[in-house]
Amino acid sequence: MNTYKIILLLMGLSIMGCSDLEEEPVGLLSPDGFFSTVDDLQLAIDGSLTHAINEEIWGRKLSVSLMLRSDMVKLQSSQTYRVEMDMHNITGENEMVYDPWTRIWLGISAANTAIAGAESVSADDDIKNPVVAQAYFARAFYYFHLVRLFGDIPYFDRPAGEEADFSVGLTAEEEVYDNIIADLEFAKTWLPETVISRSVPSKAAASSYLALVYLTRAGTNDMAYFQLAFDEAKEVIDNSGTYVLGLDPDFQALFDANRIDASIEPIFALDYNANEAADNSYDQIAPMSGVRGDDNEEGWSVVAPTMAVYDSFEPGDYRRDVSFQTKATIGGVPVDYTEFTISGHEHAANVPYIAKYTRYPGEYAKGNKRATSHNYSMMRYAEVLLIAAEAGVEIGNPLALTYLNEVRGRARNGGQSTSGGYDEATFPSSTIPMDLSNITVADVLEERRIELAFEGKRWYDIKRRDLGNQVFSASGYEGAKPDFNPSVDYDTPIPQDEINRNPNLAGL
Amino acid sequence: MQKQLKFFKMKLMPLLVFILFGLALNAQQTVTGTVISQPDGRPLPGANILVKGTATGATTDFDGNYTIEVQNSSAILIFSYIGFTPKEVTVGNKAVIDITLIEDSSQLSEIVVVGYGARRKSDVTGSVSSVKADELTAFPVLDAEQALQGRAAGVVVQSNNGGEPGAPIKINIRGNTSINASSDPLIVVDGFVGANMPQAGDIESLQVLKDASATAIYGSRGSNGVVLVTTKKGRSGKMVIEINSTYAVQSTANRLDLLNANDFADYQNQVRENVALTTGDPSTPYVQGDYDTDWQDLIYRSGNTANHQISFSGGSDKINFYASGTYFQQDGIIVNSGYERVSLLSNIDAQLTDKLKVGLNLTGGSSKKSGVTTQSDGSVTVGGDDVVSLAMRFAPDKGVYNPDGTFSTNDKIGDKVDNPYAVATQRDDDTEIDNFRANFYANYDIIEGLTFKTTFGLSSQNTFRGIYMPRTLEVTAGGGTDGRAIMTEDKTESLLSENYLTYKKEIGKGELTLLAGYSYQKTTNKGFYSEGTGTISDSFSYYGLWTATNLLNGGSGDIYVNETEIQSQFGRVNYDYDDKYLLTATVRRDGASNFAENEKYAIFPSAALGWKVSNEDFMKNYDNISSLKLRASYGVTGNPSIGAYESLASLASIYASSNGLTVPAITPYQNANPNLKWESSYQSNFGLDVALFNSKVSMSFDYYNIDTKDVLMFDNSIPWYFGNYNDEIITNVGEINNTGFEFSVNTRNIITDDFSWTTDLVFSRNKNTVEKLIFGADYFGDGAPSYFSVDNNYILREGEEVGLFYGYEYAGVYQGGAVPTGTATLPDGVAGDPLFLDLDGNGDVTNDDRKIIGNPNPDYTWGITNSFTYKNFDLNIFFQGSQGGDIFNMTNVQLNNGDSNTTYEYYNNAWTPENTNTNQPRVGNNSSREISSRFVEDGSYIRLKNIAIGYSFSSDMIEKLGLSNLRFTVSAQNLLTITDYSGLDPEVNYYGASGDNNTSSNTVRGFDFGNYPTVKSVSFSLNAKF
Repeated sequence: MNTYKIILLLMGLSIMGCSDLEEEPVGLLSPDGFFSTVDDLQLAIDGSLTHAINEEIWGRKLSVSLMLRSDMVKLQSSQTYRVEMDMHNITGENEMVYDPWTRIWLGISAANTAIAGAESVSADDDIKNPVVAQAYFARAFYYFHLVRLFGDIPYFDRPAGEEADFSVGLTAEEEVYDNIIADLEFAKTWLPETVISRSVPSKAAASSYLALVYLTRAGTNDMAYFQLAFDEAKEVIDNSGTYVLGLDPDFQALFDANRIDASIEPIFALDYNANEAADNSYDQIAPMSGVRGDDNEEGWSVVAPTMAVYDSFEPGDYRRDVSFQTKATIGGVPVDYTEFTISGHEHAANVPYIAKYTRYPGEYAKGNKRATSHNYSMMRYAEVLLIAAEAGVEIGNPLALTYLNEVRGRARNGGQSTSGGYDEATFPSSTIPMDLSNITVADVLEERRIELAFEGKRWYDIKRRDLGNQVFSASGYEGAKPDFNPSVDYDTPIPQDEINRNPNLAGL
Repeated sequence: MQKQLKFFKMKLMPLLVFILFGLALNAQQTVTGTVISQPDGRPLPGANILVKGTATGATTDFDGNYTIEVQNSSAILIFSYIGFTPKEVTVGNKAVIDITLIEDSSQLSEIVVVGYGARRKSDVTGSVSSVKADELTAFPVLDAEQALQGRAAGVVVQSNNGGEPGAPIKINIRGNTSINASSDPLIVVDGFVGANMPQAGDIESLQVLKDASATAIYGSRGSNGVVLVTTKKGRSGKMVIEINSTYAVQSTANRLDLLNANDFADYQNQVRENVALTTGDPSTPYVQGDYDTDWQDLIYRSGNTANHQISFSGGSDKINFYASGTYFQQDGIIVNSGYERVSLLSNIDAQLTDKLKVGLNLTGGSSKKSGVTTQSDGSVTVGGDDVVSLAMRFAPDKGVYNPDGTFSTNDKIGDKVDNPYAVATQRDDDTEIDNFRANFYANYDIIEGLTFKTTFGLSSQNTFRGIYMPRTLEVTAGGGTDGRAIMTEDKTESLLSENYLTYKKEIGKGELTLLAGYSYQKTTNKGFYSEGTGTISDSFSYYGLWTATNLLNGGSGDIYVNETEIQSQFGRVNYDYDDKYLLTATVRRDGASNFAENEKYAIFPSAALGWKVSNEDFMKNYDNISSLKLRASYGVTGNPSIGAYESLASLASIYASSNGLTVPAITPYQNANPNLKWESSYQSNFGLDVALFNSKVSMSFDYYNIDTKDVLMFDNSIPWYFGNYNDEIITNVGEINNTGFEFSVNTRNIITDDFSWTTDLVFSRNKNTVEKLIFGADYFGDGAPSYFSVDNNYILREGEEVGLFYGYEYAGVYQGGAVPTGTATLPDGVAGDPLFLDLDGNGDVTNDDRKIIGNPNPDYTWGITNSFTYKNFDLNIFFQGSQGGDIFNMTNVQLNNGDSNTTYEYYNNAWTPENTNTNQPRVGNNSSREISSRFVEDGSYIRLKNIAIGYSFSSDMIEKLGLSNLRFTVSAQNLLTITDYSGLDPEVNYYGASGDNNTSSNTVRGFDFGNYPTVKSVSFSLNAKF
């Protein structure tokens, strides 16, 4: 009898857990019903914007490939994918193509998720739109890179995933630009005039980008777009007080991680925080451009300017001092750039190196100055002045000269820099007057080349102004790049793996 | 509840008291005697004596003597021993009963455990290999898994990392049926599904279930095979105390012959001059350092292991127990590597009433592994964490220390790395694992033939790992890093409840056995990973993580909680007719929470037929055939390796920075995948069991064919522009086939009074074919460290075997002048450079010139054991081998690359203008770690795995000491290896750039790089029984 009780007890214990087998994950984020407040939207927006700082975009792959494709930076190493970038025979298999491609789409998809999610957030437009406008800005920021890199691309203004999305075709460049402009106009309408950090999109950021988009769309001769670009840039300049914008008096401060936060010049920046974040969400530009064997955390010497680039800067121009690393201590021996190869390393070269990244990285989390504290300006006030100057020359507005001289004037300030290596030195202000009185488009483009050197702008300038044949000829700063062909090389090939996934992207 | 509590007080308390004092209860009559075996007339140690209808039993000692207590004179004793016909004797008034057991001509009366039951071996219709307890303990092993190597046909066993203390052991049954899912067999210990393997010394019997007929009862978890383990139980009678102690001394089985400092400097100068011939730039001479360091000598030492086990067992007529404790300790042969483990096991069984039997298995343990990193995936500072490969690469003209006392780094050639001695001694990597399992059962005989069994169990495993890289390692953790600390914690808890009914009935000449049951199991896995840099001090080791100034936020995968549930119904019919015709049919229906929405339930059926031909009348005249049985089976089993929540749409939490601060953020992870399901294996098996010449020879042959469908693969067709963080969702598309043949032969060659010789041979051949891949496209992977920057050096291609080597076909050394037709050099080739086949004929060596260049899958593997006894001596010789598999010598790719030290073999034989008749290209040639057939070698080997000599003292010598058994053994492992392979060891297991995950353990085969060396050891063992 007792045994029956025992059996019953055992069965009571053991026949437990008739389950419906539904999964109820803890700690897994389900997209269904996730977005209910504007704070939820902010999570996806921060996710979207942060993709840009990843190694696959500005942390290395896109920033370095933009440098290599320009006429100012030469490859010191021999990896095929980098050689292709430098010499303009880029294939669809190149990881410096597909890494930025995939990562940019992550940014777009997160922005689209926020924009779609906003529909289920029940808040008034004046509460909700200033937040969601950041997502519109982010989407425009990413598509602007894509359209300049690839030309025609697939375009989505919603999260992808429907059956038809697998076989979608290319959207024409012009239509993509229209959409970018619409996004930036929405962003300009709703974003606040000032923001807590320049890494947060503002009205000025949307407006400045709008000016650059118009300038890009103008190409070499579309006066209507030059007019739009001028007007938009001038609006930023005229409202610089409201937006708290201006030129930083010390050019070096723009590339000093410890001084940049206080600067009024950045308009939209990628703000690294000395965090060796997962998934390579940190920058490596400093070692990529640093001097091999440098006792100061040793660079990898992957990219370096040519001597001609250095020589193209006027000796008295403070920007030359800030832009180039001309001294290093290698194995305890202080040397200047004519002896950088004493490191004995195969990638070392006897030229001045890029200083904008390696000189003042602030605190960094990983050896070789990886994961720095830099804020990289994607758009800064000097560029807005130069946009206005370039468009102004095109439409014959005399303000163009004023704006250009403003930029040149700041460069004559001098400031707190180094003597070419890491020893602090004050650079005196220049006695040479701002002498330009009559400027051409070429003068403005030259000023952009000097002012924005190694900042990822030059390749896009070469493309929109069709300068390729000129700058990649034997007289170019890097010498002849014979593989450059303007009829194909301005557009990057869409990654072959992506075309394998959707052959409709082959575009022919 | 109150009633139950009262019940507990009233009934269970006396029961507990009964359990505790049961041992002391006196029975009424004592019987002693000796068991003798026929035909050899020798005493039979280890024979079982059972009082019929009770759990009371005894075992004979070494001299065949036993003592047993019975309740009264009508008691019946059953004498049995594996391979002998049991005998029953009524006690009557006899005090001494001597018995002669006669060898069973069928030799197959052995009982084997199958899922949810047991069968006579002669009645088994599936493919089952049994491994005996004494084979598992023949030589000292860290894990029982290791002892399976070469012991069971169709079972391949390999350490994950050579002789590393505490390295996990992989078991592979009949090839692997998967690509991205686990290929590990299901381990069932005393009925607990998904348990850890117990200590070898605690195992009573081990069965490997191989075909679908045997494994389909485990349904969606059966397709990788099932290992069924039964732990030792106590027997009533005299209490037995057993002590097993082993001590072993170990050393590296092999080392590479590397250049000394002078030759190295000469080599580097040759490299530099040769490189200059390629580039046209002038070369700078190598400046030789002041030291001559043998780095292998610095990191290797002689190691040792100690294993001590003590067990107590015994019981009364109603209750028996077995309790054991094992301590294992190992100092590895690389400095700073070691392992330590304590394990406990207790089994108690009680016959509460005539009908009710209950029992409890309890086991627990704790281990600590102090690791050094070997066979690194290359992701940390260009392989600079890998002690073994560093010791080969590192410049021998450097000392351990710089003049300022800091550790030297490799800063003159190749990538800068920390020195191997520094890495071995400075880096901490500790893994601590605690596990616990309790399993309760109750067995109730409801009516004649009908039994109900219920089990309820709980297991948990905690794994802690701490890694610390101090700032003294300049390259790894100096500079801006200032020390790197990592801590991880993982906990898995599993709860299992099973209930089943078994019904047995004889119907005329037929015997019917029915089984029906229900099972529910819930598994929770949770854990976290935390990493930080910038610790205050190295002296805190990884515990300094809290002082880290930079905490690295790893993202959503680093903190996890996964819960899976599986509920199942299962059933089996066995029908035996006339002891000639056998039928087995099983079915299991599994429902699992991790299966996707549209595929929650799956049914796994199987059927098998057996025909005992030797029992037919027409076989009566064939006296030489002792038994002959044919078997055939077919069935479906599954592999459920879909992670929890893997089919759901989700967002990922990612690192984000805003305003220079880390902020929470999300990004889309994946779309939903409602059709994701298990992989299914359709397996047929044909077998033949035969015993000849009075069972002096017994053999078992099996042929099988396994078609695995719905193999999980990563669908890389999701366009990147979808912007999913996970751009390769897992989906069921692949197909794999495994076909194989395996046999085992056991012969008793000579059996006389003083001398015996027996031989056991196992042989396995498996042919694996990739039948279908996603989109029919080749699947490539990297079997090289990531810093090699070589892509796609192994391939999966439809119609080919898994994991073939892929690269250039080496065509000898370019002698200058015209390039031989059909070949080409790499760019800027000069005389002495390697030539490769130019498959596309474009004059250059490009990616399109790559082809399949080797097959790592062996044609067959085998093991042979010869056992001899002579009087009190015994000798056991175990050879094990593998034939026909290739090895890719990734170590030589690194060592022949010019930017590291190299072997004398290469240094002396490389092409020079004076030495042109050679197959080795010049040093410093124009290839950069190229993947070519130059580095593919035959990995066949024959290995003397173990040789052991034992001496058992006769009972008259040791009785005075109060011992019933005393035995010494001296053995040696890996004493001899015959192979053409030029690397350290042919048993390689490097996992490539992805490290050890499911995919790499299924597909990365035959790569050798930085393995923890296989050890050679000499062991001394003592076994004593009181």
